[in-house]
Parts: sequence; C-alpha cells; structure tokens
Amino acid sequence: MNETLWAALSEVQDPEMPVNLVDLGVIYGVTEDGGVVEVDLTFTAMGCPASEFILDDVRERLLREPGVNEVRVNIVWDPPWTTARMTEAGRDALEAWGLAV
Amino acid sequence: MPTQAEFEQTIKSGELIESTREMTPEYLRELKHTLIVSGDTELISAPAYYLAAKRAPSINAFMTGIAIIQDELAHAHIAYHILEELGEDQEKLIFSRDPKSFRYPYAFDVPLDSWTELVVANGFYDQAGFCLLGDIHDKCSYGPWKRGLNKVMLEENFHLRNGRTWMKRISASGGAAKDELQRAVDWMFPLSVEWFGLPDSKKMHSTQLEYRLKGLTNDQLRQWWLSTVVPYCEQIGVKVPAHKDERDGKDVWELDYPFPCEFDAEHKRWDFKRPSTWDDVLARWRARGPRNVEMVAMFQEEFHNFRKTHHRDS
Repeated sequence: MNETLWAALSEVQDPEMPVNLVDLGVIYGVTEDGGVVEVDLTFTAMGCPASEFILDDVRERLLREPGVNEVRVNIVWDPPWTTARMTEAGRDALEAWGLAV
Repeated sequence: MPTQAEFEQTIKSGELIESTREMTPEYLRELKHTLIVSGDTELISAPAYYLAAKRAPSINAFMTGIAIIQDELAHAHIAYHILEELGEDQEKLIFSRDPKSFRYPYAFDVPLDSWTELVVANGFYDQAGFCLLGDIHDKCSYGPWKRGLNKVMLEENFHLRNGRTWMKRISASGGAAKDELQRAVDWMFPLSVEWFGLPDSKKMHSTQLEYRLKGLTNDQLRQWWLSTVVPYCEQIGVKVPAHKDERDGKDVWELDYPFPCEFDAEHKRWDFKRPSTWDDVLARWRARGPRNVEMVAMFQEEFHNFRKTHHRDS
C-alpha cells in the first residue's frame, strides 16, 4: 500500500513548477491505517502562495486510491525544506525548465 | 541592417531574429509597440489586482493574491527590459508617461471591487493574457521575447487556477455569494470578449501577423478564449451570454448579444438592447475608464516623490 501511495503522490504536480511533489522533496512521510492516510508534508517556503492548491491536490489524488477513505495532512516545518531534498529527477526537471538547483 | 529581401526571407523561413541588426525599422517599431502593450497590460494588472486583493477573505488567499501580483510585475519587467535593450528608456516608459497613453486593455480601467471580482479577473483576464501570450510564445519571431515567455506561461497557469478554483467554490456555496459571482461574470465576460480587439472583418491587414510577432488573428484568439471559458462556466453553473455552434463541421462559439454594444462603466452594466459601433468602442477605449488615472498614479507618484526627497548631485 505504501508504495502505491508514494506512486500516487508522484503524480501530483507542483502548481507553479513542472515537478511532482515527491521529486520536489516536500513529502516527508506517508502512512496508512485502516483506510486513513496520513501525510507529512512541507512547503518550499512558509509564504507558499500555492499551499491550498497543493493540499487540495494531495487529498484529491489519494482519495482516488482504492481503500483510502480519509486523508489527513500534517504540515511540518522541521526539518526545513532546502533544494538538497530534491531527487535527481526533480533537479533535472527544474534545470530543463531553466531553474538552477 | 538587412535589405528588405533578406529580412523577408528571415521571416518566411521561420528563423528567429536575435538583435536590432537583423531588423528593418518597421519591424522594430511594430515589435516595440507589441511589447509596450504587453508590458503595460502586466504592469497595470498589479494595481488593479491589488485594490481587490486587499479584500481577500483569508491570509492564505491574500498571500496568493499578492503572489499573483508579484508575477505580473515580473512579467511587466521582462517586456520593459527587452524594450530597454531595443533602445527605449524603461524609466520614462513607466514613470513619465501620461496615464491615457498606457496601452493596456480597457477592462482594467473598470474597478475590481471585491475578492469575487478579482477571482473572475483571474479566470477571465488571465485567460485572455494566456491566449495572447501563448500565441506569441508559440509563434514570435523575436527570440529573446519568445524565450522569456517560457516561465511566464507557467505562472499564468497558476493565476488561472486561482480564478477557476475560487469561481467554482463560490458558485457551489450558492445564495448571495453565487449571485455576486454571476453579477461579476455579467459585466466582466463581455469586457474580456472585447479584449481581443476589432473583429477580423474590420481589420483587413495585420502587420503583427505579417512579421510573425503573433500567429493568430483577433477572432481566432477570441474563439480560443471562448472555447475555454464558456464550457468551464457552464460546468460550474455560471451563466454566460455565448454558446457553441457548428459551422462547416467545426465548433464555433457564438455570442448571444450584439457585439459591440453599450457599456456603462460607472454602473458596470451592459445594455444588450443597444448595439454600438466599433468607432464608439475605440472612442471609449481612447478616453480610458474610471480607474486609469488612479492606478497609474499608484506607481508614478511615489517614484517622483522619492526622487525629490532623495535627490543626489551626480
């Protein structure tokens, strides 16, 4: 189940940049217990203007997974996000787009 | 400077123009004009949106509104920066021009007075900007601008999303909120349709098309806008005065009101019973609308005050 959830989250795009949330490194953890999914998630900045969209997209995507009835998102700021948390694929995607990371 | 024949060959071949050395004076003039319209439009959207964003219903919504304004200023900066490289004085363009000589769409002169009107602007006006800039991004013969638009397009997408998400949310909440949304759509829809300018039947020749500064005609751009906005509004239960039809086996979007017709900017009301002429519309555009002077003053006044109090002898 856990792998499927990570795969589902890697389909959620950042609303501002052409990179998915997993490759961006903002998903800190996903657990599932009896149909309830808990996601630990951070934002690249505290003033992230897209935070509401990201939360909506995460909930909407996970609820489409069979067996998921509820999604709880914990917004965490520790450890803080830095570009070091991005995956190689995320880095490549942003570099291709013209952002040095 | 290239000969006329060399220049025409470059344009025809689809190659990009990279510097003024490769331009004819006519091309340079038309490119500058197109950039000024684009820069002015992005710039004026900042005060227009700000005056409404400060009525945001939550800190988060306010943050999104402000982020959109920051994007718009950055997009304006790209256009003015290129103009500077082409020999214009950016400071003069922004801070010393008469408000009436700014070349942005008339729609921005009509006040956005609420969060609801702001999100409809994000849904309608930013969609208009998306169509116009998307076309330039796709077809523009001037390399530096075409490349600069890569990021602009992605950011405009975010603005559209803000507009559409909120419009859907407000519509779903029903009651007085939905009525307010419908009233905003009623006056903002025809203003957005007008955004794309004269119909092709009235505009026989386009230098912008000839020079590949853009690729689509006014009517083609208008159709593109209608093809995204009308279905979305119908989907979220908002009424718009247009419908889909078929002509020669192709989808066309028809307006359900005389285009153009009379607009009362003071009361933000269209009179569909009173058709007007394009000369009337052009006269209204030239005279500018209610908020033109106030918005231009928002960035010009303090610039000059600051200059006066921080004067340095060089």
